[in-house]
Amino acid sequence: MPTYIALTYTAEVDWTRPEYADGVREYTAFKEAHEAVLLGGRALYPTATATTVRVPGGKGGEPIISDGPYAETKEALTGFYLMECADLDEALAVAARIPAAWYGTVEVRAVHPPLEP
Amino acid sequence: MRPEEAAARLVREEGARVLATLVRVTGDIDLAQDAVQDAVVRALERWPRDGVPPDPRAWLTVTAKRRAIDVIRREVRRPGKEVEAMSLRDPVPEPPEVVRDDLLRLVFTCCHPALSAEAQVALALRALGGLSTAEVARALLVPEATMAKRLTRAKQKIAQAHIPYRVPAAEELPSRLRGVAATIYLIFNEGYAAGAGEDLVRVGLSDEAIRLARLLAELMPDEPTVLGLLALLVLSDSRRPARIDDLGRPVLLPDQDRSRWDAALIKEGVELVGAALRLAPRPDPYVVQAAIAACHALAPSYAATDWDAIISWYDVLLTVHDTPVVHLNRAAAVAERDGPAAGLVLVDAIAGLTSYPWWHATRAELLHRLGRTAEARTAYERALAFDMNAPQVAHLRRRLAELPQ
Repeated sequence: MPTYIALTYTAEVDWTRPEYADGVREYTAFKEAHEAVLLGGRALYPTATATTVRVPGGKGGEPIISDGPYAETKEALTGFYLMECADLDEALAVAARIPAAWYGTVEVRAVHPPLEP
Repeated sequence: MRPEEAAARLVREEGARVLATLVRVTGDIDLAQDAVQDAVVRALERWPRDGVPPDPRAWLTVTAKRRAIDVIRREVRRPGKEVEAMSLRDPVPEPPEVVRDDLLRLVFTCCHPALSAEAQVALALRALGGLSTAEVARALLVPEATMAKRLTRAKQKIAQAHIPYRVPAAEELPSRLRGVAATIYLIFNEGYAAGAGEDLVRVGLSDEAIRLARLLAELMPDEPTVLGLLALLVLSDSRRPARIDDLGRPVLLPDQDRSRWDAALIKEGVELVGAALRLAPRPDPYVVQAAIAACHALAPSYAATDWDAIISWYDVLLTVHDTPVVHLNRAAAVAERDGPAAGLVLVDAIAGLTSYPWWHATRAELLHRLGRTAEARTAYERALAFDMNAPQVAHLRRRLAELPQ
């Protein structure tokens, strides 16, 4: 069965604040309802905690570390789910139930099988 | 017809069905296309010489399957190749209902919403319409290398993202069918909008779209959307002989010589509208648009058009497809029934069309009729500032020149 990753792009949310308790309940309900296909998934800390790393000199070169996410956008990458589905239609049907799809956008990508040399 | 032509026509007619079966049994569009291509080449060599076999489709399918088995055997890295090769060896020819389902699966895969509109158009013409990559590229006015890349990317996405090869479940079917219809309609419009004067090649696209719509109607004869689509296309196409005058200039609907309209296509379209209306549980956008086209097709002259009926159909269309362009078309019909002033009020009330050339062109025409020359001139110039095809530009320039100085 193919593996998919659903990347959620939404406004940044601090899930520990009490006003988001309903939101947390919605995500929990989603997780429980789709246990059969979900391999895992988490919310990410806000983009303020993001750090990017590049090595412009190529392999062995000096890493350049910078504060902030890869791209500054209004809707940020805020979480992900890994799921195992029969095909893209099933993956899209599950993705449509992620609360992030109602408030933002969910990008669904097929995951490549492990690469072997 | 020469035997070569007869063979070529037969091969093209059966090609999509054979391909659809091969995609199912191999699970790989590229491999299926290679195998079918090989079978087609053999058929075109042999049939004119030895005669057409009694069941050409079965012949092509068996030949393509043999080729696919050869390719799979040679490909060392393909996982599970033994299993695939086994299912290919089944010697019993596919019964008609399996072939029908295979073809429907191919239709819904080529027109899957996860593919871009341009990829869907390209795949539909290539895989369902049986055109070569070069022919698709020519018809859509893009370089062949670009089209080859576009098709490869689309097939890669189907394979890597696992876009399923199946007919959607009943609850998804209406929305997915509208997607298929939209793709075929897009192909038709590409050809129709091109006119007939300068790019005859593109007119071929209208024929291809009608061919695809006929195929779909054959596969799903009880779906109102499908019948509505085919009706809309044949009714629009029935006017083709009158859309260009003897000097190659475009002729708009009011001035067309209705005796040149294709009566057989009108009859077919009107009957399809009737059948679709009887089947539709609620208004379907394609059926309603076809009903509007039927009102025009049945009018003995532009002046004798039943504008009441047309405006009522636009009201129905707005209940299921409420877009500014539909409001614009309704306003144009109101202008014909109640006069340019009544139409202009409605046109001016539509928000969100300032970057749509036909909004400016419609305003220009109505202002022209009202004798508001200066405003009409500005509106014509605004419309002409957009990219439009040559016949449309020619018409607007002529009307602009007819304004009193």
